[in-house]
Amino acid sequence: MIAAVGFLAILVALFSSGWLVIAGIRASQATPADPRGLKIPAIGLAAGGVIAFLSLELAILTHDFTIAYVAKNTAIATPFVFLLAAGWAALEGSVVLWGLMLSVFTWLVWRGVKKGDGLGVLALAVMGAVAVFWFGLMATVANPFAICTEVGNGLCSATSWLPIGDAVAPADGIGPNPLLANHILMAVHPPLLYVGYVGFTVPFAFAISALVRSERSKVWLDRTHRWSLVAWIFLTAGILLGGWWSYEVLGWGGYWAWDPVENAALLPWIAGTAFIHSAIVQRRRSMLQAWNFVLVIITFALTIFGTFLTRSGVVASVHAFSLSAVGPALLIFLGIILFGSLGLFAMRASTVASSPRLESLLSREGFILFNSLLMTLFGFTIIFGTMYPLLVEAFTGREVSVGRPFFDRVAVPIAFLALLAIGTGATAPWRVETGKVLWQRTRVGLNVGFIAAALAVVLGVRSVSIVAIVGLAGFVIANIVAFYVHQASRSHNGGRPWPSALLSTVRNDMGYWGGQISHIGITLAVVAIATTSVLAIRTEVPLAVGETAIIDDYCVEYLEPFSRVEPERNVFGARVAVLDRSCSDVRAVLEPRLHEYTKFGQVIATPSVWTTWVDDVYLNIAATNEDGIRLKVLVFPLQWLLWVGGLVIVAGGVLALGRKPRKRTPTSNQGDKRKHADA
Amino acid sequence: MWLIVPLVASLVIVVGLWPTDQVTADPEARAYNLAVRLKCPICAGESLAGSQTDLAKNLRLLIDEEIAGGSTDDEIVALFVANYGEQVLLDPPRSGWGVALWVVPLSIAVVGGVAVYGLKRKERDSPEVPS
Repeated sequence: MIAAVGFLAILVALFSSGWLVIAGIRASQATPADPRGLKIPAIGLAAGGVIAFLSLELAILTHDFTIAYVAKNTAIATPFVFLLAAGWAALEGSVVLWGLMLSVFTWLVWRGVKKGDGLGVLALAVMGAVAVFWFGLMATVANPFAICTEVGNGLCSATSWLPIGDAVAPADGIGPNPLLANHILMAVHPPLLYVGYVGFTVPFAFAISALVRSERSKVWLDRTHRWSLVAWIFLTAGILLGGWWSYEVLGWGGYWAWDPVENAALLPWIAGTAFIHSAIVQRRRSMLQAWNFVLVIITFALTIFGTFLTRSGVVASVHAFSLSAVGPALLIFLGIILFGSLGLFAMRASTVASSPRLESLLSREGFILFNSLLMTLFGFTIIFGTMYPLLVEAFTGREVSVGRPFFDRVAVPIAFLALLAIGTGATAPWRVETGKVLWQRTRVGLNVGFIAAALAVVLGVRSVSIVAIVGLAGFVIANIVAFYVHQASRSHNGGRPWPSALLSTVRNDMGYWGGQISHIGITLAVVAIATTSVLAIRTEVPLAVGETAIIDDYCVEYLEPFSRVEPERNVFGARVAVLDRSCSDVRAVLEPRLHEYTKFGQVIATPSVWTTWVDDVYLNIAATNEDGIRLKVLVFPLQWLLWVGGLVIVAGGVLALGRKPRKRTPTSNQGDKRKHADA
Repeated sequence: MWLIVPLVASLVIVVGLWPTDQVTADPEARAYNLAVRLKCPICAGESLAGSQTDLAKNLRLLIDEEIAGGSTDDEIVALFVANYGEQVLLDPPRSGWGVALWVVPLSIAVVGGVAVYGLKRKERDSPEVPS
C-alpha cells in the first residue's frame, strides 16, 4: 500500500517535471512571460517529491519489509535515528532525498517568479529538466519502492519493479551498513551535503536561462547569490561533518584521506567557492561574465560527477557503498550537461562576454581572479589524479594507484599561495592598488606574521612548514583585523562611540565582513591541518590491565575491560586512564571500544578522544589478546582548531547571507564611496 | 620602524630552525610515513595506514620489523612493489606514465598564467570600452 502511494508520487513528480519543462519554455516565449501555467506542475513536482520521501520514511518506521529497500537497509532492532537516516543512507533512498530537495527548491524558486520574468520562467524549465532526470531514475533503475516477491533464507530474494501484485515480507530486515549506523553524525552528514549539491542547481538553471536568452546583465547573479551562498554553506558544513565523522568513527586517526569520494565532495566546493568570489567581481565591476558562466556550469557538473563517482564504483573507494545501473545513467546525464551547457556557452560567449577591463593584477579583482584560477587548477589536478588510474589502465592495461601522498604534495603549495592571496587581496581596493596602499594595508599583517612565526620557534616548533604556516596565518588574520579596525576608526572619528562604530562597520557591508570571517576560519583550519598532520604522534603499545605506558607528555593506564550487549551489536571496551607524564595525576578516563556487528560479521573499532586546548589524545583498540590489548595512542596538536575554524567558515557564510541590500541612488553608491575612501 | 620587527623575527626564526645535529627519524614516524605511501592491496582505495583489515595490520607489522631489521625506506618500498606490483604505490613514480601526473597540471598552470597575462595586455593595447 505505502509502496503504491510512494511510487505513484514519483510518477506524479516525473510527469509534473516534464510538464514544467514544456510549460516553462512556452511561457518564456510569450511577451510578457506568463508564469501562471507553471503553478500546477511546480506544486505537483513539490507534492510528488515530498510524498515520495514521506512514504519511504513511513515504510521504514513501520517496518514494511514487503518493500525491498526497507528489508535490505533496516531491521526491527535498528535504533530510531538510524531508521530515519536509512531513508537516505543507501542508493535508492539517497536519490529520493535528492528529489525531495530539488522539488522543494523548484517550488521556492517558482514562488519568486512573477509576471514578465522570462529569465525565471526559463530557469524553472531548466530545473524541471534536471528533475526529469532524478525522478526518471527513481521510476526506473533506482526505484525505492520495488517490492519483495520471494523470500529465501530470510532475505528478499526476488523483487518486482512495479509495486503491484503479491508482496511477501521477510521476518526481519538486514539492517543498515554498520559503518553508517555507528555514529549519529552519519545521519546528518549526507542531508547537509545534498542541500549543498542540489542548491547549486538554482544558479545553474538561471545561468542556462540567461545564456539561452542572451542576457548580458548580471540579473541572474543577483537573483541567485543567496542560493549559491546557502548551497556553499551547507556543502562546507557537510564536508566538515564528514571529516569529523571519519575522525570520530573510522579509528585510523584522521579526517581526510583524499579518497575519490571525499574528492567528489571537495570538487564542487572548490568550484563553488571560486564561483561565489568571481560572482562578486561581476556584480561589483561588471567583469568576468563569461568566466562566471563557466564556473557555475562546472560547479553543477561536478555535483553530478561526484554522485557518479560515489554511485558507479568506477573508482575504488571505501565510500562506494552501492553499485547499479545508476552509474551509466549518471554518466550520460553528466555528458548531456557538459556538452549541452558548454556548447550553449560557446554559441553565446561572444554576446554575453564582457570586454576585459582588468586594470591591474594588483587589485581586489586581480587577487580574486588569481585565486579562482588557482582553485580551478587545484580542482583539475584533483580530477586528474582521481581519474589517472583509470586512464593509465585504459591505455596501457597497467594498474596504478594515486592517493594521499600525491594530493598532499599538490595541496600544500596551493594552500600557501591561496592564503597569501587572501591575506593580500581581501583588503586590497578595487581597480588598482598602488604600492603605497598595498604597504599600508599589509604592514601590520607582515609584522604580526613575523612575530607569530618567531614565537612558534621560541615555543619550540622546529618544523619549517609549521613555522611558515603560522607566520602566514598571522599575516592573513592581522591584515583583516587591522583593516576592520581602520574602517571602524573612520566611523568612530565621524562621531560614533567605538562599540557602535565596530558594529555599524559590519552591518553596512555584511557580505564583505562575513567573507572576511570565513577567510579567518579557513586560515585557522589550515593551521590545524598542518599541526595535526606534521606534529602528530602515533604509537601503538601493548597493555595488560594495570600497566602504564608513557607517550609524549602523557601516561596511559589500562584500568579494566568491559563489555555489554546492545541492539544489533556487542560492545567490548577498555577503560583507559590518561595521566600526566609522571603517571600520578588522572586527567581523563577514556573508553575506546570494539563494536561487533554479528549479523555482518564485522568488527568496527570506535576510538575515544580527549580534547584539551593543546591537543587531542586519541585512543583506539588495535587488537585484543589473552594478555590484554594493543592500544593505539595518537596525539594531535590543536585538533580542535580545525573544527572551530570550520565553524567560523560557516558562521561567516551565514553572516554574509544577512547582507543589507545596497541602496543605489544616481548620485552616490557604496562602490563610489569606497573608491573615494581608497584613493 | 615597520621593518625592524620582521628583521629581528627573521633572525630568531633562522637561528631557531638552523639545522644542528642530525636527528634520526623515530621508527614509528618512519613506519607511519611508509604506511601512508603504500596501498592496502585488498582494500578499496585505502592506505596501509588507514585500513583496519587484518592484512593491513600484518603489513604494518612487517614494516615495523623491516625498520627494526635496518632496512631503508627505499628497500621497504621496493619489497612491497616486488610483492604486490606497482599499484601498491599511492604516489606513482615520476617516470614513464607517472610524468603525466605532474606535467599535465603544470602545463595547465602555465596556460592559465599566459591567459591572464594576455587579458591584461589586451586591455593595455585597446582603448577602454564603456559598458
